[in-house]
Amino acid sequence: MHNTVFSLKEVHFSYLGKFPALVAVDIDIKPGEKISIIGANGSGKSTLLHLLDGLIFADRGILSFCGKELNEKNFNDVEFSRNFRRKVGFVFQNPDVQLFCPTVKEDIVFGPLQLGLAKEQMHRRLEKLVTILGIQDLLNRSPNQLSIGEKRKAALASTLIIEPEILILDEPTAGLDPQTSRHIIDLLIEENISGKTIITSTHDLHIVEEISDLVYVFSSDKKIVKYGEPEGILNDTALLKANNLVHIHSHRHKDKVHVHPHVHLDHHEGEH
Amino acid sequence: MKKNARKRDFIERSLIGILSFLKGSLFAEEHALKSGFMQSLDPRIKILTFAIFIIATLLAKSILLVLSLYLLCLFLACISKINLGFFLKRTWVFIPLFSLFIALPALFSNFTPGEELFSFKFAGLALVITRPGGLTVLLFVLRVATTVSFAVLLSITTRNFELLRVLRIFRIPQAFVMVLGICYRYIYLFIGVIENTYFAIKSRVGTAMRYKRGQQIVGWNIAFLWVRSYQLNEDVYKAMLSRGYSGEPQVLNNFRSGLRDWLWLIFVGVIGICIIRFFH
Repeated sequence: MHNTVFSLKEVHFSYLGKFPALVAVDIDIKPGEKISIIGANGSGKSTLLHLLDGLIFADRGILSFCGKELNEKNFNDVEFSRNFRRKVGFVFQNPDVQLFCPTVKEDIVFGPLQLGLAKEQMHRRLEKLVTILGIQDLLNRSPNQLSIGEKRKAALASTLIIEPEILILDEPTAGLDPQTSRHIIDLLIEENISGKTIITSTHDLHIVEEISDLVYVFSSDKKIVKYGEPEGILNDTALLKANNLVHIHSHRHKDKVHVHPHVHLDHHEGEH
Repeated sequence: MKKNARKRDFIERSLIGILSFLKGSLFAEEHALKSGFMQSLDPRIKILTFAIFIIATLLAKSILLVLSLYLLCLFLACISKINLGFFLKRTWVFIPLFSLFIALPALFSNFTPGEELFSFKFAGLALVITRPGGLTVLLFVLRVATTVSFAVLLSITTRNFELLRVLRIFRIPQAFVMVLGICYRYIYLFIGVIENTYFAIKSRVGTAMRYKRGQQIVGWNIAFLWVRSYQLNEDVYKAMLSRGYSGEPQVLNNFRSGLRDWLWLIFVGVIGICIIRFFH
């Protein structure tokens, strides 16, 4: 395998050519790494993930996958495109976007069918996944009838069934209850232990440490302001505050008013 | 003021009524999920046999024969665990009654001459109901009721996505069937958006709103819905690309037919042939 899966050099992207969404982004992602992208709303996290999945292309700079540039020309090559889609899986932020078929089962097998996976293999993977995610009862239901947690699990299954080497996830725990959130995090950790590269964008700082070897912080001017190991990033309160990732929290304990930054990191256990 | 409030109430009731009708008729699958006879059949064979029933009903010229087919339909509804009261209400309320009004003139001697059955005066006019007229109207209404009943029985005992997938056996292009499926999926989502937008407006503006202002808000919402659907369209396409879609959709085809399906097909086929051959 190539020693970097994704390499971004001075990558710029703007919408309609005039609204910058990413400015001079440099990132190298190695196989098997866990990468987190954190930043406030509108800082360019989702745009970066769409670029990594070859859904949009950089205006300037070079973005390559295993040494080959990701551009429209290369995606016109059926072999390259199919190979890329087999290796890279993307879980969208809004599961309603990803679940477009009339039933959950059809949604889950959509990817393998397009990628020409053998039927037997597809059914084997489907059985394994529904057991792991506990979604057996959802298979013949319409996505309309599911809760947000069930939709996220179904969307995750529809990507995991491809068994991609690189898994890209856009806010995978947004809006989920703690138990479902934990289930998904555990699953991602297991996928990483089995050798998969995991790239996640999130605001949810309390999951960052578990799902990252490296954390990239995006600022509101769509640039990377800092990157490093999760511990260093999460302890840099000034950086998190400057980038709208923490807020000042004031509350009362009996007759004492208590003010401190609220990091959503450990829900201030031990501070009380 | 009261009149305006009633008008708004009318609009509100209509909107909520339309949305709940759409949800109930398009998306409720409570009968299709029951474990009855019709629900257990392969949807392809079920559609084929219902097409035979409908054609046979249209070709049958004897009232007794159409009545037998109608009774068979009711029997099928019963063994499919469909509540008969609900089924009769669903099938008789609109189309057959409407067809009765259309066919009503045929009762009278002016349109269908023949043996007099009954005569009366209405607004100074002497009206005569004839025997052939009565039989024609009876056959017509019974035929409409029977075909509507078969169509309703098919639609309530089959899940909507299965009906869509069966379109493929009629050689309708895969992409077209898939687009229909996607439409079906997202209509529900947009019904939710319309409902929530309506409640959001109501929670902020209350009940007092001028007519012009109301028009403006409706206009904005149509535009908002259009923008939302456009964004969704782009995102769904990206989600398809991301999982390997390249313009030629491949979809799951897991229909299975067993002995019971084939026996049913043979039974219905024999009935169809008999009706066409002996009674047409």
